[in-house]
Amino acid sequence: MVVPVETTGRTSVHPPADAELHRRLVYGDESALAEAYTAYGGLVRAVAARVTRSPAAAEDVAQEVFAQLWSRPYAFDARRGSLRTWLSMLAHRRAVDWVRSEARHRKDARADDCALHAIPDASPGPDQTVVDRERSLLLHSALAELPQPQREVVHLAYFAGRTYRQAAVELGIPEGTAKTRLRTALRNLAATLAEVPDPPDPAWEKGA
Amino acid sequence: MSDDHEVVRELLAAWAFGALSPAEEKTVPPHLAECESCAAEAARLRETVRQLEGPPENGGRSHIGDGAVSFALRARPAAPRVAAHAAPYAAAVAGLKALLLEADGRWGTPVVHDWDVHATVAHLIAADEPLAGQLGAGGRVPPAPVTDGEGWEAAWNRRTAEVIAQEHGRSCEETVADWAAQAGALLATPEARDPVLAARAVTLMGVRLPVADHFVVRAFEVWIHSDDIGRALGLTVPPPPEEHLEQLVRLAVRILGAALGPAAPPVLFAVTGGQEWVLGSADEPVQAELTLDPVDFCLLVGGRYSPDEVPRGATGDEDAVRNVLERAASLAWL
Repeated sequence: MVVPVETTGRTSVHPPADAELHRRLVYGDESALAEAYTAYGGLVRAVAARVTRSPAAAEDVAQEVFAQLWSRPYAFDARRGSLRTWLSMLAHRRAVDWVRSEARHRKDARADDCALHAIPDASPGPDQTVVDRERSLLLHSALAELPQPQREVVHLAYFAGRTYRQAAVELGIPEGTAKTRLRTALRNLAATLAEVPDPPDPAWEKGA
Repeated sequence: MSDDHEVVRELLAAWAFGALSPAEEKTVPPHLAECESCAAEAARLRETVRQLEGPPENGGRSHIGDGAVSFALRARPAAPRVAAHAAPYAAAVAGLKALLLEADGRWGTPVVHDWDVHATVAHLIAADEPLAGQLGAGGRVPPAPVTDGEGWEAAWNRRTAEVIAQEHGRSCEETVADWAAQAGALLATPEARDPVLAARAVTLMGVRLPVADHFVVRAFEVWIHSDDIGRALGLTVPPPPEEHLEQLVRLAVRILGAALGPAAPPVLFAVTGGQEWVLGSADEPVQAELTLDPVDFCLLVGGRYSPDEVPRGATGDEDAVRNVLERAASLAWL
């Protein structure tokens, strides 16, 4: 009988599936890329679509995200989080960048439009959509800047549809910690919104 | 009631995100109906999530493409498809290329011996060169003539020093490009694709082995040095894919068995989750059993573990075990 070998300390403690997939990505096994895309392509596109509001842009973001995973595999470190949250956060960051540059273009294109600088109409309508879009971008930008531990829980709860208990299991943290991080994160986001000069949005004034 | 208040208040953010289980979800509305401060907080948080959501999605093409995979493959090609004996080398080269992308701005980091990252890559150019020369895939730097009577190790060290000196006069990108070009040329040889052609035995680094095995030795060395570079840069280099690791282990065991010779006290040697071999004399009963993790065994043979420190499971005669471990460590040439 062979005596079982003591652990070496070199063996990883993170989810074995992630580590195994990462190993194959590192060594240029293209079937690992296809597997990652099958497992997380939907999530990545959904995250990007929520931020960009555009399926076409979401598709572009997804391409960039998987190209990054594949061509820079060492940018992901399985010791520091799951592949799901890493991809979700990367997609979010790229999508926010996309919307920002889109917004810049739009502003450039309408630089002469004086109406934009005038006091906006209080009635809901097309302007309301613009305001909502800007608020949403502001919040997503703020979300992208949250400390990683908070961001991970938000991504699992909000984008990946996990309960806070499931998120806690996936992140290997106590349930109470997941709950608290969600709370801190959302309060930070709410505070960001409160700092915005109050736009004439009756619904918002009433709701707050 | 106040217990309820604390519990629900803690749940409000998860509630606003829709991240409660159905059972917990039910506990929230009754409390909100009777607690003004929680109701206000709940409204504020929910509104924030609603704002995060933004306006309804634009129209536009909703076509879901699967172009992401081919797009990614244009950014980085997959490891080339070669015969099984060259696949570990193809993978190790792909892995080191990916690792070296992270070395940007850190080429001077000390790695092993007195080499930095740049010099380690230069060493790999020298190390792959003998096989490349044999297969007519010679590199950029013309080798100096071998001095008569010089052993392979002296020639090997001299050649490494030569190439490192030359490469230090060039940019790191040029050195990496040369190493990658030579590796690519090796993988493009007929011997990398055809097991029959690769069955021809040649003597390299003092060992006569089939070309197929020399490819495995190349994979071994590239991976060990990748691991060195990874540790220098603070990155975890994963072990080679399972089937490649098995190939490395099998070859190392064969070389170890030959080095121990037919008279060594026999030891039943196993790698965790893998094969078993009896090393040493076939005429005596087994005197000890030794089990190593496959990665640890490779690191021992690669000189990255000393016989004392390598984690092992062992029973039986300690001297017999020690003999195997020391002989394995003595194989290290890296």
